[in-house]
Amino acid sequence: MDAATLSFLHGVFQEMQQKQDWKAALDALFASLRGSFVFDNAAIYLEDPLTQKIEVAYARAVGREKTAGADAAWGESVANDVIEKKQMIMQAPKQDGVGKGRLGLAHLLGLPLYLGFQLRGALVFVRFGGPEYSEEHIQIASLHAFWASALIERNELQKARAELNSVQSQMRLQDDFVSTISHELRTPLGFIKGYSTSLLRQDTVWDAATQREFLTIIDEESDRLAKLIEDMLESARLHSKTLQFKFSPVRVDALARDVATRIHTHFPDLKIVFDFQPTPPIQGDGTRLSQVFENLLGNAIKYASNSELVIALRAVADKVRVTVADHGEGISAEYLPFLFERFYRVPGERPVAGTGLGLYICKQIIMAHHGNIWVESALGKGSTFFIELPIEQKI
Amino acid sequence: MAKRILIVDDEPRYLRLLEANLRTEGYEVVVAQDGVQALDVFSAQPIDLILLDVMMPRLDGFGVCQRLREFSNVPIVILTARGEEQDRVRGLDLGADDYLVKPFSATELLARVRTVLRRAQPPAEVGQARFFTHDNLKIDFARAEVWVSDEPVSLSATEYRLLLQFAHHIGKILSSEELLTSVWGVEYKTDKEILWVSIARLRQKLEEDAHSPRHIVTRSGLGYLMPPNET
Repeated sequence: MDAATLSFLHGVFQEMQQKQDWKAALDALFASLRGSFVFDNAAIYLEDPLTQKIEVAYARAVGREKTAGADAAWGESVANDVIEKKQMIMQAPKQDGVGKGRLGLAHLLGLPLYLGFQLRGALVFVRFGGPEYSEEHIQIASLHAFWASALIERNELQKARAELNSVQSQMRLQDDFVSTISHELRTPLGFIKGYSTSLLRQDTVWDAATQREFLTIIDEESDRLAKLIEDMLESARLHSKTLQFKFSPVRVDALARDVATRIHTHFPDLKIVFDFQPTPPIQGDGTRLSQVFENLLGNAIKYASNSELVIALRAVADKVRVTVADHGEGISAEYLPFLFERFYRVPGERPVAGTGLGLYICKQIIMAHHGNIWVESALGKGSTFFIELPIEQKI
Repeated sequence: MAKRILIVDDEPRYLRLLEANLRTEGYEVVVAQDGVQALDVFSAQPIDLILLDVMMPRLDGFGVCQRLREFSNVPIVILTARGEEQDRVRGLDLGADDYLVKPFSATELLARVRTVLRRAQPPAEVGQARFFTHDNLKIDFARAEVWVSDEPVSLSATEYRLLLQFAHHIGKILSSEELLTSVWGVEYKTDKEILWVSIARLRQKLEEDAHSPRHIVTRSGLGYLMPPNET
């Protein structure tokens, strides 16, 4: 190969390589080789594997009759011919020259496009009014066809890869979730089985205190299992977005007071202080928001039972901000980033009372309201949970 | 002398469950709640058996098992979840001697502990020649020691028992069932996996090339054997 050709080819390939979009790359290729191969219109037809009908994937009008538009009906019959006969087709204009002027003298050249060793379509060139295609032209046209195939295939593979990555990461999440669930469910089950069979042992006698201890554990773990199942269903519904939220105007102050009053009847020792500033009603699902407050207050009872609880309400810019603050044991900074994750429980001494889903569910609900929930806390000082809800709901 | 068992689990309720039951059988019990603690406790006193939970999300049970095996052949029973085949095989691969599937009953637990402790006793050799040789492999029955090319080899109790089966039946093909029953017990008769893993580990330790074994040879479809010494 002579140096000039080599250098030229290098330039062509380099320019093609730089184009991200396969159509732009093809444009660059055709333009580069225009000196040796000229055409008026080019079109690529690809066969849809399902319907077996051909669709136009690419159409350019670069020569005469540009104004005739880049519609590609002119090449369809040749494309179909190429696909059917599995070979290059050259079509000379009809002798009687019927048709509008030059357009009636269409010289067509169709080349097969193989994607992954399968004939998937055709690249068709047209010259209105000639000249006829010489051997060299046909060779170059074939080159174009090879490149077009490669570019289209690369594009399809890229799309497939992106989808595969997405599916894989979905599956990984799913796997993690499934294995976490099975671990979470087995834990209380393991206790129930273990402690009950211990009591059933015929080869030993447990003293009364131990019997009571074991039976209490069985009882508590059964409760935990029940709550876990309940929470998991809730979480699954939220996750798959099958939970319907009914939005209507909600007065957050009234809601918070309702929940607090309810909780108070069960825990009369709990001291709750309201610090409300006037706030407009927001658009929200009252039932679900109540759930969030119940959960936060429930946590406070568990982890800050001796502390006073301050529920504050403020309007901040276009949002309503609720804070639930306690002076309980607080949460260490290293655990804070994980608090709202599914099944996360802060490591600690006590037999774990929660399911690890409460805050996750809260977050899901608040997010469904296009709001935000977060926490600030210091060990030994206490925790403050923040909830922000937009006043206007963007549909 | 009462056997001492180390329980490694991060759930206090499991520790209580295991400990309460083990104590009724007269075992001494020590506990650890994470890997570091486990290794500390283990190094501080003689331990006859370890119950190790590999389901703990924060404690790397498998890591602990692997680490322990670097310097000890103490019997290890891993506590794993039902249906998690990979956990079981992985545990066995890393050197665990046996496994117990959660949720388990108290009686299952005690039976498993009893079995594993029994297996760990070196078997009494009566009326045998003291030494056995097979090519570059040498066994001293009296001291339960094994050498390959005059280098001492450390085998777990189970691996040693397995090797003995071949040594005592040299030249004879032993089926998987026979091996499982005699080394592990009749309830393990169909547990091929535990046999495969143990044979693989044994080969790693004894053979020059584990893929072309000379001491423990596979007979496809029939079982395994130690080929007779060339006289």
